[in-house]
Amino acid sequence: MSEQLSYEQALELLDRKLKALEDGDLSLDDALSVVDEARTYLRVAEQRLEEARKRIEVRPEGAGMDEQR
Amino acid sequence: MVRPEEARRPLTVSELSFEIRRALRPLSTVLVKGEVTGLKRTGRGNYSFSVRDQQAVMQAFLYGDQARRLGIVPEDGQVFVFRGKVDLWKSGALNLIVDFIQFDDVGRLRAQLEAVKRRLELEGAFAPERKRRLPFLPRVVALITSPTGAVIHDLQETIRDRYPNMEILVYPAQVQGTASPGSVVLALRRCNQEGRADVVVIARGGGSFEELYAFDTEPVARAILASRIPVVTALGHTSDRTVADMVADAECRTPTEAGTRVVPLKRDLLAALAERRRRLERETTRQLAGHAERLAQRRQRLAQVPPALLRRRAERLERFRSELARLSPVRQLERREELLRERGARLEAASRRLLRQRRAELAGRDASARLERALTGRLTAAETGVGHRRRRLQALSPERVLARGYSITLDEAGHVLRSAAGTAPGRAITVRLGAGSLAARVEETRP
Repeated sequence: MSEQLSYEQALELLDRKLKALEDGDLSLDDALSVVDEARTYLRVAEQRLEEARKRIEVRPEGAGMDEQR
Repeated sequence: MVRPEEARRPLTVSELSFEIRRALRPLSTVLVKGEVTGLKRTGRGNYSFSVRDQQAVMQAFLYGDQARRLGIVPEDGQVFVFRGKVDLWKSGALNLIVDFIQFDDVGRLRAQLEAVKRRLELEGAFAPERKRRLPFLPRVVALITSPTGAVIHDLQETIRDRYPNMEILVYPAQVQGTASPGSVVLALRRCNQEGRADVVVIARGGGSFEELYAFDTEPVARAILASRIPVVTALGHTSDRTVADMVADAECRTPTEAGTRVVPLKRDLLAALAERRRRLERETTRQLAGHAERLAQRRQRLAQVPPALLRRRAERLERFRSELARLSPVRQLERREELLRERGARLEAASRRLLRQRRAELAGRDASARLERALTGRLTAAETGVGHRRRRLQALSPERVLARGYSITLDEAGHVLRSAAGTAPGRAITVRLGAGSLAARVEETRP
């Protein structure tokens, strides 16, 4: 499910989990599973960012366009 | 068979020619109106052509120099009023040597022009809001002009200077003469039909009112209005704007100006693009860095969570353990003992303090008699309450001991002797008994 998340969605979920953890009224078991979820969202957000970086880096060189005209 | 006049000496050809030329002298400054046909440019740059009306034809000749002075080169189909002289050339040809040319009926043309302008004005053809915007950067520029001469050269050069690989399509047209309006209209129509160009320039290198006549005609004006492609005129330096200028979407004077108008400077565009590319890259990097920073912050926060979870719980456990220890029975006993000890110490200190105070009070009262009295008084007062105490006191008092048969030995100074070593043989001693005392002398000491 997390695979379909956008960067913003993952970030928002991550923030929600972080807040829940920092508020600190979870049982230990719950807190640990929330940590796991938060890590998943963090990983997704980082992946999305990395994908964006790659897309920007592999874009066609602008120079080619200029020479056609 | 020879008739008498034939017997006269025949004229030479030169003589005949001379005679004819003399006869032609009255025709040395004639005005002739006619249509030009068969115009040819001779090897020496002069023009030979025919002038005709419905019935007759006449050879005519115009020197190149003269044509340049007049600023007019006649074209086939045009009707002019020619001024010149009729001359017989040595070749035997009869020629009209032209020295002045005037368009026929200029007044009529101007009147027609005014009518066209009025009609178009009423239709709103000159309104600025009707004019189309020229494309920012055309893919193809069309030129409607004469395929030879300085105009097309200047146009192409300007455009290629500004935009080296700009595609230029030339639609050749006659820009002068009676065939010109039709030619321009056809070229413009073709340009629109092909639809390859994004802007079209109609150009010509200036000229007199008559020469620019084509651009004042209604068909040309209508063709410009009907063009889907924006039209720019560049008809040269003239005092009067032509109708074509008025209906065109942009109006320039020279080919250079038109070239500048329709095509931007490529190096400016490239510089602007490069600048935007730099901005884009900078912005992209900045954005990515910003997001990476946000994620890094969260990663750090997240990393702090599990240790904190454990630490909080460990701290709570530690608190419970110390609480539990505090509540254990052994510790309770110890605490109570501690409390007792502490209170005992305080009690002792307090009693000592009291005792000291009393002693000081007693010392303050020098009269032992008063002390005695007071003590006796108190004792008497408390006699019944403290009877048993007095009895114990009496049991311990030295008098009671003496009464039981013990004695106390004192030295000369009245000090109690507790050891035989405290005296020596021959020394006086006093022995106190239960009743009375003995004055005695030591005979011998035994350790």
